[in-house]
Amino acid sequence: MIKCVVWDLDNTLLSGVYLEAAGEPPAADPAILAVAAELGRRGIIHALASKNPPEAAAYAAHATGLDFAATECGWGRKSDAVRRIVADLGLAADAVAFVDDDPYQRAEVSFALPEVLVLAPADMTDAVTWPEFSPAVVTAEARRRGEMYAQRRRRQQEAREFAGSRQDFLRYCSTKVTISPAEAGDLPRLHELAVRTHQFNSSGKAVSEEQLRLLIGSPAHRVVAVRLSDRFGDDGLVGAAVVDRGEPGTWTVTLLMMSCRAIGRGVIEALLGWLCRAASGGGADQIAVPCVIGARNVPLRLALAAAGLRAAEGEPAPSEAGGPERAAGGPGPQEAGAARRAVFRRPLAGPGAGPLPEPPGWVAAPAEP
Amino acid sequence: MTGGDGRAVVDEVRAILAAVTGQPELLGVGPETPLFGPGIGLDSLAGTLLLREVDARFGVDVAAEDLNLDALATVGTLAAFIGARADGS
Repeated sequence: MIKCVVWDLDNTLLSGVYLEAAGEPPAADPAILAVAAELGRRGIIHALASKNPPEAAAYAAHATGLDFAATECGWGRKSDAVRRIVADLGLAADAVAFVDDDPYQRAEVSFALPEVLVLAPADMTDAVTWPEFSPAVVTAEARRRGEMYAQRRRRQQEAREFAGSRQDFLRYCSTKVTISPAEAGDLPRLHELAVRTHQFNSSGKAVSEEQLRLLIGSPAHRVVAVRLSDRFGDDGLVGAAVVDRGEPGTWTVTLLMMSCRAIGRGVIEALLGWLCRAASGGGADQIAVPCVIGARNVPLRLALAAAGLRAAEGEPAPSEAGGPERAAGGPGPQEAGAARRAVFRRPLAGPGAGPLPEPPGWVAAPAEP
Repeated sequence: MTGGDGRAVVDEVRAILAAVTGQPELLGVGPETPLFGPGIGLDSLAGTLLLREVDARFGVDVAAEDLNLDALATVGTLAAFIGARADGS
């Protein structure tokens, strides 16, 4: 599934060459603009990679009316520009398409970044019908994704110009994290998160909307939704946790997930702290998080380690006993065969439990469970 | 590993920490300083950048070798973990 299209400017987004114009630079190409706007409505974000001076980025935004999540204007290799965009936006290369009219640039990007889907502008009217560009679910969060990335750029811009430390900046942002029981109206977005999240996803498997619906209604489970906002805007529903309370004394978090857009803003820390306090308040003496172990979700393992959760080497992770699959009456659609798994645990009381993890001081903490 | 190498790795770990957290004062922290919790307060963003930089500079993939990321207990434990592996290669 493509999450971001990196556009060339000259003879791709524009019907002409920016620097060759005698007066006003050329206007946007109407056919490409229609495609880009449609992709934006589906929650696919835009980025710009152009061999032009930096001011071309502002002109591109003005001429097309698109919100660019990232822009790279300069004279270096296009593959380096795409690589920086991929890193900056926290995306996987296989979630990115690159569109350029110049066959040389397309070949260069294809060669350097084989995972990237490389297309010519003429392909795009057809490509909008391809499954890669057709997400099954388009939520309110997805439709606003371009706008939220624009907020993110303003936040990063101000962060660079901010005089104090990163902590001071985050405090200035007035970050607010809200945690509440998930409701039926949250299901499309929860499902979208279950499908799209990788860096912060404990299960590593897709969970269907129907499975999530059953979990929300299940008395043995608790599903919480996490929302994020700050002075730059409202990010909406960015994370969730599914808790199984079936085992006495233990809260088992069968699914922990967060949008990578929320990284570095205290959300996963606030959620883990909340879960520990809620479990403790609910009479549990330990919290357990079965987790797939892979290169992609190292950020989640960092958050688990910071919250004091530890896995015993070699302890086999019970294959989803009590997890979403059981509640839904069958195995998940993407049963990961040989994926390495471990159960991260933390005592909540008694010697060795230590103080429960706290969200960072600059987060307006969610209400106590 | 010699003491000199160990100090060099500690210095580099401090430099990476200062860069990924944007806190230059971390250049002066002691090797016993915990990375998580109050003090440095390494979050998942800074931690991810730290691990990526350690892999790039020393060729040591901490996350692949250390399930619980115990190497990230303190500045010193991370430097020792790196020193033990970077030496052997």
